[in-house]
Amino acid sequence: MSTDAPARHDASGAGPSARDEILAAVRAALPPGVERPPAVETLASVLTAGSLAETFIAAATAAGAEVTSCDRAAARVALSSLTAGARSAFTFASAPSAAPGTSDPHELADLDLVVCEPALGVAENGAVWLATSDSMARAALLLAQRVVVVVAERDLVRDLHEAYARIDVRAHPFGAFVAGPSKTADIEQALVIGAHGPKAFTILLVHDHQTGEPS
Amino acid sequence: MTRPAFELPVVGATPVDHAANAAAFTADAARTTWHDESLWFVREKRDRAAASVPEWEALRARASAIKEHALTHLDEYLVRFEENAVRNGMQVHWARDAEEHNRIVHGILADAGARRLVKSKSMLTEECGLNPYLEARGIEVIDTDLGERIVQLRGEGPSHIVMPAIHLKKEEVGDTFRDALGTPAGLDDPTALAAVAREHLRARFLAADATLTGMNFAIAETGGFVVCTNEGNADLGMALAPVHVASVGIEKVIPRVEDLGVFLRLLARSATGQAVTVYSSHVHGPRAGQALHVVLVDNGRTRQLAREEFWRSLKCIRCGACMNTCPIYRRSGGHSYGSTVPGPIGSILTPGIDLQRFASLPFASTLCGSCTAVCPVKIDIDAQLFRWRQRVVDAGYVPRSKALAMETSVRVLDRPRLFRALGAVARLGLRLLPARVERLLAGPWGDARELPAPPSTSFRAWYRRNRRGGRR
Repeated sequence: MSTDAPARHDASGAGPSARDEILAAVRAALPPGVERPPAVETLASVLTAGSLAETFIAAATAAGAEVTSCDRAAARVALSSLTAGARSAFTFASAPSAAPGTSDPHELADLDLVVCEPALGVAENGAVWLATSDSMARAALLLAQRVVVVVAERDLVRDLHEAYARIDVRAHPFGAFVAGPSKTADIEQALVIGAHGPKAFTILLVHDHQTGEPS
Repeated sequence: MTRPAFELPVVGATPVDHAANAAAFTADAARTTWHDESLWFVREKRDRAAASVPEWEALRARASAIKEHALTHLDEYLVRFEENAVRNGMQVHWARDAEEHNRIVHGILADAGARRLVKSKSMLTEECGLNPYLEARGIEVIDTDLGERIVQLRGEGPSHIVMPAIHLKKEEVGDTFRDALGTPAGLDDPTALAAVAREHLRARFLAADATLTGMNFAIAETGGFVVCTNEGNADLGMALAPVHVASVGIEKVIPRVEDLGVFLRLLARSATGQAVTVYSSHVHGPRAGQALHVVLVDNGRTRQLAREEFWRSLKCIRCGACMNTCPIYRRSGGHSYGSTVPGPIGSILTPGIDLQRFASLPFASTLCGSCTAVCPVKIDIDAQLFRWRQRVVDAGYVPRSKALAMETSVRVLDRPRLFRALGAVARLGLRLLPARVERLLAGPWGDARELPAPPSTSFRAWYRRNRRGGRR
């Protein structure tokens, strides 16, 4: 093999392929089989205190998110004031709306705000599930200075086990549990909000009770 | 006990002398204390996070069992992962070793005409020495994790697998940024420095031709993978670059999506004490117009899998908890191990790659077992450290002085009369000799310790005098 030429990453011809050699080495090395453990219900998290919403709010707040619990009318007011104050905004929901005029995510480099509706929120850790096939929406989630998510209280689940039972990770090329704004503690353990991604993460947690508001 | 057939790993570069490296680190006592306390702070956060989950032990047991199941059926799961990944539009490559991995990655970049690569944290590419390989071929490589960028600018490697720059003080980071990025002298506020890094790296993300990420988990069932970060650097790279290369060690394959619930609940809590990382990103195919390549790397993993005594080390999910808790790691620093993965887990993984070179690492431990107690996938790290010590001795890689001392001990302990006579000599000697000479005789052990005052008689003599009622 010449050392300096880039390898052809398709099958190289002479000799057994790396794939076959590695798989043969794995088979020769396999320790005695260990059975897959049966599903255990006791793994479900035990919420020590409070409702799903209370647990979610505490966890998301600990992750650096700003959470407002409100009814639909209040959420709409909050949203319009947030977007009105933004220099640029990108909105996506379950169905991408307001398709931007370009398909190059680099165009979103100066995006101020992104608004989105996650499929669910996870009480135990304050994360929300954001998934999309739209390259622009995906980039917006990271490039925007601020993220606003609107999540319904009825879409909260207890823990990640429940979350994975609800979502289909294959539905989109990209899906992420996102918990709060991007952050780093790489310099002397000092927490800094806004590492590479958004510097602020606002959650509007919408409840249905005590409101006659039409949807 | 019969020992399994044991294949000696290849001999490589100069042996790492962990004790000497640690001595250099501890020469600065104040810094050693600071480093120790920084890591203990993280360990305490981990403890609080673990205690907040009542079913923690059940999660650990299940995580361990899933990993053992996956590793003992690894061929099936690798094939399934490959099939599904290809179906998802990914191109899958296989690399027997570091050199092949680097050639494959370079080949992908060269074919795409990529000159600027942004990387997110990948200990595998550190292990493979990818950065210098690509740089020698004219490709600019930017590590984008803040800690990794800092050590890259300093020409160092990461000293910790989760917190790459944990060994540095903010003033040192300030100096590095002043020299490399032109920040004002004396700027050492972490928030300000991170803001500078954000701007500096944002430009690199936007200009990148390609991105490289690692994987925390590869999912056989769906042919997708998960990448966890707090900074969002992996996501930014993946969302912008037209070419994405994801490199992964073959041991990272897990069977099912539902298994992620178990692993993600353990990972961040064990690593930093967070309930979950900010981004747990699931990738199941390229973006429109993007090329997505997966490189599955062996590089010694199948050899480790074949070792009856050590294959369970491959269960590791790279949380770093064993480092944060280790009394040796905390007081010797990650660089003292001379290994890509330092600390307790590194000391059982790396000897499998080159036993002679890393022969000192299994001895960089008190065998206190704290690593095993915090490990989220229940690797018996301390037991494996102990077993590696035996392999090191079998292979003859212990210093002659230590071997001689052990051989002498065996001879003395085998002969009760000689033992008694030498005991009497030692008790007399310890009373008469100056402390300086005593410490010399005690070897490195005596460097920081006072020898105890010798008893006036042997235990045997004392017992004879004091026993009541004679022999029973």
